[in-house]
Amino acid sequence: MGQPLLARFPMEGTVSGHHRSPHRGSSVEFAEYRNYVPGDDIRRLDWRVFARTDRYYLKEFEAETNLRCYVVLDCSGSMAFEGAHGTRFDYAKRLAATLSYLVINQGDAAGLVHVNANDNTEIPPRRNASHLQLILDSLGQAQPKGETQLIPLLHELAEKARRRALVIILSDCFCDGAELRDALQHLRFQKHDLALFHLLDPLELDFTFDRPVRFVDMEGSHSIVTEPATIRAEYQTELNRFLERLRTDCHEFNADYRRVTTDLPYDKVLADFLTERAGRGKR
Amino acid sequence: MTFLQPFILWGLPLVLLPVIIHLINRMRHRPRQWAAMQFLLAATRSSTSHSKIKNWLILAMRILAVLLLLLFLSRPLVGGWLGWAMAAAPDAILLLVDRSASMESRVAGTDESRREYALKLIASAAGEFENNSHLILIDSATRHPETVSVASLAELPNTQPTDTAADIPAMLQTALDWLIENEAGTAEVWIASDLQSSNWLPGDSRWETLVTAFDSLPQKVRIRLLATTQDSPPNTSISVSELARIQTGETGEVRLAVDLKRSEATADTAAITRTLNGIATEFEARVNGQSTRWRHRVEIGDQSGGWGKLELPADGNPRDNVTYYRYSDDHPPAGLVITESPLGPLWQAAASVADASGRKPAKRLAPDDFTNADLRDITLVIWQASLPQGDSAEALRQFVNEGGRLIFFPPGEATTTRFAGLGWGEKQEADDEPFKVGRWDEDQGPLANTDEGLLLPLNQLTAVQRQRVLGQAAVLAAFNDGQTLLARQALGQGEVYFCSTLPLLTWSELGDGMVVVPMLQRLLAAGSARLQRDSVAECGKVGAGDLQLEWTSVETSQRGDVATQAGVYQAGDRWLVVNRPAAESEFERVEDEAVAALFGGLSFQLFQAKRDDTALQGEIWRMFLFFMLLALLVEAWLIRPKAGVESDEPAPKPQPAPAA
Repeated sequence: MGQPLLARFPMEGTVSGHHRSPHRGSSVEFAEYRNYVPGDDIRRLDWRVFARTDRYYLKEFEAETNLRCYVVLDCSGSMAFEGAHGTRFDYAKRLAATLSYLVINQGDAAGLVHVNANDNTEIPPRRNASHLQLILDSLGQAQPKGETQLIPLLHELAEKARRRALVIILSDCFCDGAELRDALQHLRFQKHDLALFHLLDPLELDFTFDRPVRFVDMEGSHSIVTEPATIRAEYQTELNRFLERLRTDCHEFNADYRRVTTDLPYDKVLADFLTERAGRGKR
Repeated sequence: MTFLQPFILWGLPLVLLPVIIHLINRMRHRPRQWAAMQFLLAATRSSTSHSKIKNWLILAMRILAVLLLLLFLSRPLVGGWLGWAMAAAPDAILLLVDRSASMESRVAGTDESRREYALKLIASAAGEFENNSHLILIDSATRHPETVSVASLAELPNTQPTDTAADIPAMLQTALDWLIENEAGTAEVWIASDLQSSNWLPGDSRWETLVTAFDSLPQKVRIRLLATTQDSPPNTSISVSELARIQTGETGEVRLAVDLKRSEATADTAAITRTLNGIATEFEARVNGQSTRWRHRVEIGDQSGGWGKLELPADGNPRDNVTYYRYSDDHPPAGLVITESPLGPLWQAAASVADASGRKPAKRLAPDDFTNADLRDITLVIWQASLPQGDSAEALRQFVNEGGRLIFFPPGEATTTRFAGLGWGEKQEADDEPFKVGRWDEDQGPLANTDEGLLLPLNQLTAVQRQRVLGQAAVLAAFNDGQTLLARQALGQGEVYFCSTLPLLTWSELGDGMVVVPMLQRLLAAGSARLQRDSVAECGKVGAGDLQLEWTSVETSQRGDVATQAGVYQAGDRWLVVNRPAAESEFERVEDEAVAALFGGLSFQLFQAKRDDTALQGEIWRMFLFFMLLALLVEAWLIRPKAGVESDEPAPKPQPAPAA
């Protein structure tokens, strides 16, 4: 994983870093010429141009700053779903930990937000190495439980994080699609860069049961006894409709949507993620 | 449907096995924690009727497969006339076989008679039941129930051809009696017949009684009818309807009225072989239309008696190609008039008899003197007085029973006395218009047309007075208003007639002689059978006394069966002529609907035999096996796994994660 984690949009950091800033700075990256206006620092006048044209121009350069990354972990009961390759929550925690490590390791600030019905944890982004340990400890203590609180959490984060940041969401997104769309829109409105890891188990996609099953809701008290083979087509139709709408919404908000099945090696998932972002960042 | 292994049908509840397995399978479901519940709920709500129909179809196929397996194992039998009624083999099967002469008609395209065809099919069908059911044969000729085996059915004496008629109601009565007497359990009655109307007698009052009796039996009796109504080759039947011996000096002749009836109406000539006292000669007769009365004279010289037969060449029914007759010594008829009225001489003249010395009038007696009358040579008694009672009535009954004819004319006064169920009612007078004759029997009886086909002038006959005839009798002539002119009541071998008017101008124009003379002359001739020592009988109706005698066929000089075979027979000095009943030559059949109606609410099944049907029934287990496999194949197709559905926990398979 030699690629750094880059933001796709300009970030607002407190120190110099690898990421573009919305402000002009003193980096080596030329940005533009503009006319001098009273009040500008005369040290930034381009004397060579003045000598040739007898006019005052300022030469501006891109500012580069550090990244503030929020890893949002959905801790609802449905994240505890266990397929043939382990639980979804464990998979999500591994992704969260690795992403946090990568961010801090490249000198950026990483924070963690996770919430469930009983617990609300928010670790603000920090750049120091000891902060990583705090994140890892918090991940170790997180438990999937109860109904999802992802939607209010995202709205709250959109309001709290005043500076532009990279928000990485790790969730199964089993919530109301319209509400999720509003939350994502809210985050994008605040000019945050969004990356959504939509975690699904292959069994949820394929629905491969050949005997009657009592399905027990992991976030409530519902249960259904049914012959899966008879409703398989309808189930997949409903699921695919939801997935397609979510993908479309993310595309509309320029969010990075990644559907991840838990049978895939998470390192490959992250490598693909980083490589693609690196490619986009260069463009 | 009938089953050779009916006990397997006790396993029919097993058809519920798929339902029970289905319910058990649903009960042993496994719990599964599930995250994507919102899609599951939506899918359950939107589960289409198609899926439900498919599930029901799968269940139905499984039930059907088990049902068909059970039916297959129970070895069902089915056939056109065994039908589809679910039943085990009955305890008793009563085979009612029509052995009448008409059953000897050949089935077109084969050498088989309808009787042989029916026996073959019945044997084939009954063979399957022989181990479980008693087979009882009741044939139409003897109507004697007999336990039979299938193997010998076609060879039994009681299944051989006869010249008799069949009485289907009587056969059913015999079957009913047998069922009651033997307290049979489940039973079926199989009837093989050609539905000839004269055998089935659809208007007979016995049918209603029979149906009621069958219906009230403790066990349910199923009736199956094998109607052998296939097409037959063209057929012509022959019978002698009238015979008269005419003696002129030393030369005598026999005048025959021969009826030829054909199944197809074409102008043709019929080759007839005439046998007289064993000597055969051939000649041809012209035949027009379907029914022809042909008059034939046979010269007998000075022979006092003899026999003959007329024979047609082989055709569609060889059984109706022969008719026999017998002529014997001349016994002149004689009449006796019983009256005190002025009409006495008129009656005497009308009933006079011609002999060598001229016409001889009939004898006349007063009613009171009748008890001393000598009736030995009398063939007709004309009675115009109050109806006889006591000894007189008894003597007259004896006279009629022996074959004599008795005709009553109105005394003019109503009486309460009855004779043979008939009596005299009130006298009626015409108001303005005289009574006119509306209809009369032109084919038979004393008012029938002449040999030349001429009508008796009854249509010109009017009456101003008449006396009402009371009681039930066959009406041979009636006035326009339906009142009886001439009624007939059979009594023994003779007949009793009631004529409702008198040959007086104050009563009617009967006195002109154009009607009354031929009527009385015919009655005189008809009554002469009483004087002959030769018996003439229809086959199957030979008197019980004659059946006791040992008869020898004059054709073969061997012992003959007068009960079932036509022919001329001799026992000592007695002769017996047995002919096929005339009704057997009729082609009229009872329609299917009419037959079904005869059996009312009984369980009845009609099978119209077709020429190509070679079996009445057969085992159809192959069909059930085929449909069972078909049901299983359909079920397998319905439950075939869709691509990717192999187990609950499939092996991991790579799936690319699409990016937005």
